[in-house]
Amino acid sequence: MNDSDRKLLEVELRRLKPAAPPAEFLARLAAAPPAPQPPAIAQSRPAQRAIGLRILLRWLATATAAVAVALLLAWPSATPPPRPAHLPALAALAPLQADDVEIDHRLVSAFDAVARLPDGVPVRLRCREWVDNVVLRDSAQGVEVEQRTPQLEIIPVRLETY
Amino acid sequence: MAESPTQADWRRWLEDHAPKFLLFARQRTRSEADAQDLVQEAVIEAWQRRNDDQPPPAALVFATLHRRAIDLARRDDRRAGREQAAQQPAPAAWFDTDAEDRELRQLMQDAMNRLPDIYRDVITLRVWGELTFAEIAEALRIPANTAASRYRYGLAELRKLTKEVLA
Repeated sequence: MNDSDRKLLEVELRRLKPAAPPAEFLARLAAAPPAPQPPAIAQSRPAQRAIGLRILLRWLATATAAVAVALLLAWPSATPPPRPAHLPALAALAPLQADDVEIDHRLVSAFDAVARLPDGVPVRLRCREWVDNVVLRDSAQGVEVEQRTPQLEIIPVRLETY
Repeated sequence: MAESPTQADWRRWLEDHAPKFLLFARQRTRSEADAQDLVQEAVIEAWQRRNDDQPPPAALVFATLHRRAIDLARRDDRRAGREQAAQQPAPAAWFDTDAEDRELRQLMQDAMNRLPDIYRDVITLRVWGELTFAEIAEALRIPANTAASRYRYGLAELRKLTKEVLA
């Protein structure tokens, strides 16, 4: 079929028009939902009121969320954590002047372990657990600051094998 | 009460497009009632998928029709046994029954009816649906090149069929 034959057939086909739908079917279609949305100015008062309320609620929800976030962010600075009653307010304190310093180096535990080096040689590990305890006292202000620092000491010792 | 402009637009759009939607639906269904239901459902679905109030593009309605026709055919196949026995009313005419073109109309309807579905769909959408090949491709979910080649092969087949009828 060449191009001219095709065009001729297309012309013949286009001469035919699709049959008109029955009137009752057209009426059914015209009446069927979706009913065209009427323009906004034609909306009834209750509908307008409902839309207005919806917009207001949306704004209120957004504003409430924003206020909640702002409160959460501002909360730590606005309300400082409660301070123990026996401690004076930090702002009221003068800089600390330690008149007594105590440094303690205490052995907490000691144990030995045996391990093997990559070349298979056994090695003994002497393990010591220490706690460094530093206490600063300002007797004038009645303040005592204590700092504890754990330390682990591992000393490899050659394990003699016979 | 005077119609609002939107309702008038809606009616005008229906009068312009319903005949070609119904033609496509008639070719895809076994009864006039099914065809009309199909068109109504497809128009509503296509309309609802639009975000604005404008009537849906014809290509979207044809695509919906195509998909729904496939669903309907599957359902029909399941109940074919009992429905085939039922007496079906005479199929509605696909084209306008103008006295001048009555013979041509009958000839083309018979030939189109005998045409394989894949060709008939493309020819209908192209000639009477006035869709581009790109739109046809989208509606039928086939590549545009396939739509164009099916159109060519379909026209050749149709010419062969009409010649057979005339002979």
